[in-house]
Amino acid sequence: MKAIETRFLNKTYGSTPVVDGINLIVKEGEIFGFLGRNGAGKSTFINMLTGITLPTSGSFSLLGVDGPSERIKKHIGVMPDYSTLFNSMSAMKHLKFLSSLSGRSVSVAECQHVLKLVGLEEAGKKKVSKFSFGMKKKLGIAQAIIHDPSLIFLDEPTSGLDAESALHIHKLIVSLQQQGKTVFMTSHNLDEVEKICSNIAIMKDGGIIKSGTMDELRSYYRSAITVQLKHDPIPAGEAQKLYAWLETAGTELQKTPAFTTITVGSELKIAEIIRAFTNCHVNIFRVEVNEPSLEEMFLAE
Amino acid sequence: MIAIGKREFISMFKSIKSIIIIAILLITSYYSAKYSEILATAIALTEKEMANIHTVGLLFVLMFFGQLFVMGLSHDSINKESHERTMRFLVTRTSRLRILFGKFAGAWFFWFASILVSFLLISIFSLKFDFFIFSQVIALSTFQISLAILMSVVVPKPSITMFLGILIGLLAPILGAWIALTDNTWISWLKFASPYYYLVEDNYLFLIIFCLAGLMLAAAATIFNRREF
Repeated sequence: MKAIETRFLNKTYGSTPVVDGINLIVKEGEIFGFLGRNGAGKSTFINMLTGITLPTSGSFSLLGVDGPSERIKKHIGVMPDYSTLFNSMSAMKHLKFLSSLSGRSVSVAECQHVLKLVGLEEAGKKKVSKFSFGMKKKLGIAQAIIHDPSLIFLDEPTSGLDAESALHIHKLIVSLQQQGKTVFMTSHNLDEVEKICSNIAIMKDGGIIKSGTMDELRSYYRSAITVQLKHDPIPAGEAQKLYAWLETAGTELQKTPAFTTITVGSELKIAEIIRAFTNCHVNIFRVEVNEPSLEEMFLAE
Repeated sequence: MIAIGKREFISMFKSIKSIIIIAILLITSYYSAKYSEILATAIALTEKEMANIHTVGLLFVLMFFGQLFVMGLSHDSINKESHERTMRFLVTRTSRLRILFGKFAGAWFFWFASILVSFLLISIFSLKFDFFIFSQVIALSTFQISLAILMSVVVPKPSITMFLGILIGLLAPILGAWIALTDNTWISWLKFASPYYYLVEDNYLFLIIFCLAGLMLAAAATIFNRREF
């Protein structure tokens, strides 16, 4: 089943399209990463899906229900960007109030459980006005999951968090997926998207320029798998033949007596290269494969 | 809607402004009722006015300062949430209509409770509870709250609604009374939009005030549904 489906979703301010006819499908149970530079339109896209802003044209459905729909709201959890929390409330009251708005009254124990999940177990009675930025961020995530939604939107969930807290949130997001929930998140932290997202879309100038699994995206930008081999010196009689073949197998060939580095377009080529060295009776001691990081792909765009 | 209404109701009781306003209502009700006999001897009144002499003080305060009080407490009821972006949490969880009517209901029950206590206080001296006047006052408050909610939806900045609220609060009773009583044909048609006209009529026409309030809430809901946060 599709958790999110958008059809030519469009948002225009004046004559400027901020989101330009996006068609996107997110399957249930996956962690979907939405990438893009500042101003690419990521937040506007999420805001339209969650009812914060209204689409100019196009349509969408969430969990199979055409939106914008009031009845779907109790099944979604949202951590909007740039939001301020209710400063006069404690974390516990916050969760109880927002959960009741979603039509689910939660017990103190449930609130404590969710606060513990985000690492705020000691701050339940503390007023939000006394929270640090990181604590507010964690409470933002807590309020998005307190009512046990099936679909969770997280806009930059770990920005501003220290490394330990970010790792904690990553684990939480993965555990939510393991419970069968769908997580749709935007991030500037490309490493985290690469680590935890099963599918990714890259947004630029209001449109999606590429989407797919990490492997699909890598194969799209496939010319960048770098292989470095540490080996015995190549016998003089074999070197010319081997290097001639390597020139055809890949690009950016670098050779020293003990190391050979080459950039190939497919993982299959790695096996062929190793076989070619073995056929020339050259012992290989180490093979290092460097795939393009998401950041490198992202910057390439 | 209940959660939003409850939060609005409780938060209104917590502010210093509301405590001062409640104090003004109760003190006025108490002393005007207590010394109503003196007032009755000082001015010439009809038999009907004499019968309601205990409520005169409270009615004076509500007629002339009611709109100012309501604006003072509810001018930023909606736009404060938008301005501070907490509205984003609300609109992603419940319908905009529920938010709007929750806010309205919270304010309405605050005024209902405050006015009810004032009337109960008066009834100690008058030994009766005048449901007709009470209903008229509630109708006026409903109109005033709806106007405050509409303003808070239309104007996005709380600082501007605070200024406009004071201005409207001061001008509304003066203009309202003038429109209701004037013979100027160019102006007098506006009386049908003024709650004071229906109150001056002193009959069940005051129920139309609830309709006017409903129209303002409908306009507020239409605009609010198109708002972006």
